[in-house]
Amino acid sequence: MKDTYILGIESSCDETSCSIVKNGREEITTSTSTQISIHENFGGVVPEIASREHVKNITFVIEDCLKKANMKIEEVDAIAVTYGPGLIGSLLVGLEAAKTLSFVYNKPLIPVHHIAGHIYANSLVEEFKFPLIALVVSGGHTELIKMNDHLSFEKLGGTLDDAIGECYDKVARVIGLSYPGGPKLDKLAHTGEATYQLPMPLNDDSYNFSFSGLKSAVINLAHKEKQNNREINQQDLACSFQNVAIGSIINKTKKALKNENINNLIVAGGVAANGKLREEVAKLAEEMNINYSIPPLSFCTDNAAMIAAAGYYLYKKGIRADFNLNAQSSVNL
Amino acid sequence: MKILYVDTSSNYLYSGIVIDNSIKSEVKEKLGKDLSKVALPKIIKLFDEASITPQDLDKIMVVIGPGSFTGVRIGVTIAKTIAWSLNIPIVPVSGLTAMALSNPMSDNYSMPLIDARRGYVYGALYDNNMNSVVEDTHIELEELKNKVKNYCPITVITNNDIEISYDVVKYNPDILKIVNYFKDKEGINPHLVNPIYLKKTEAEEKANL
Repeated sequence: MKDTYILGIESSCDETSCSIVKNGREEITTSTSTQISIHENFGGVVPEIASREHVKNITFVIEDCLKKANMKIEEVDAIAVTYGPGLIGSLLVGLEAAKTLSFVYNKPLIPVHHIAGHIYANSLVEEFKFPLIALVVSGGHTELIKMNDHLSFEKLGGTLDDAIGECYDKVARVIGLSYPGGPKLDKLAHTGEATYQLPMPLNDDSYNFSFSGLKSAVINLAHKEKQNNREINQQDLACSFQNVAIGSIINKTKKALKNENINNLIVAGGVAANGKLREEVAKLAEEMNINYSIPPLSFCTDNAAMIAAAGYYLYKKGIRADFNLNAQSSVNL
Repeated sequence: MKILYVDTSSNYLYSGIVIDNSIKSEVKEKLGKDLSKVALPKIIKLFDEASITPQDLDKIMVVIGPGSFTGVRIGVTIAKTIAWSLNIPIVPVSGLTAMALSNPMSDNYSMPLIDARRGYVYGALYDNNMNSVVEDTHIELEELKNKVKNYCPITVITNNDIEISYDVVKYNPDILKIVNYFKDKEGINPHLVNPIYLKKTEAEEKANL
């Protein structure tokens, strides 16, 4: 059978990325321009600055990707692009570029949901076995999704307030870590002990999550310690927080796998890079004797390879967008 | 010479295809929030109407601002992507220059104005030979009025409701005239074309960067 090559473009937040993926499974090459060092100055992603960077970088990134792949756009079968959710100004740069490439080269245009992309990052690691549960954890999402087949997404539950990654970044700030604090908190936690008492959030029968209460508990705790002139042990607070946050994720994931009687778990999103989560998922899989996959770190953060991978399955299913495709800051999977 | 002109720097789409000193197709339409959705399809239609393909183009002229940040990026991204794909140059055009060139009272000084909110405008002043008297700037309207008070007669060209005592004409771009004015410019590598915002982001202002 003829191979199918998809060129993917992703610009939903602060990474401008272009990738070529073969048959939805094999990354040929990915080129990504990251803006972390720019947004560090502001303690978080500034949407207007992110958009300005995307428009500067977009053609460079596409060219670099093609050069490294030693391919021409004429050789790809379709252009896949993230249309949402994300920062609207950022999304629009990738979207307009993809629409324009699709026009100039007369290639089908494939609209990809950002979260579908994160889930399909796992397709670059191993073939999906259905049914499966996808645990999506990132700065904007915390969701448990059941998939009986490709591109069939049934949401079992999700966060009722903050996303886990958002909670990590805010708690990291309380502890005194600079942006982006989540990964730093993860590292610090490994050197500490869980000496602080924090409440397990939403410890119920649902598949939902809640992290704003946990965040507030950390803020209150830090405040109280300060009032009592006690110094916070950063490592121990990081560890205490991380145990509860990841614990909550693992509890609900376990519940979903058990109740739905599913033996395949995939983890996706930026927080899938978290060391503690990776450890605990491995333990859970062993304990329950199930298959699991977590993408390598480079496919956890935003990247176009995952968009091209998801784009392949959409392409095979006959999904196409016309030139009226618009970006959407918030849209359901 | 086949040239595509694109301006998405306001809530209007102004675009046209000029072939050898004659305008073959053009669109001037208020799109508002639909700009990101329909700008490209409407530009594609221009190619059909002019009976050419993008591959026939020699260069692209694109308005790089000032104006709506998101709007400018839409046109600039489309222009950069076409030009990069076809390996042709882009001539970046100031939207204020384009406005001044479209002044029907061409014997007068031209003062293009774009509302930048909170009493500010993007504006400039050109004489009747298109020499820049006040360079493109982001400025308080009152301050700009003061800067131009010794020049007469002035025609203001704008799409916005701006309180001013000069003769005001609504901006209706003369795309052929704009393209002809810039047609001998060689243009630059599309990678290097970027919007001019004339204004830092609020975050940068606050951080004093």
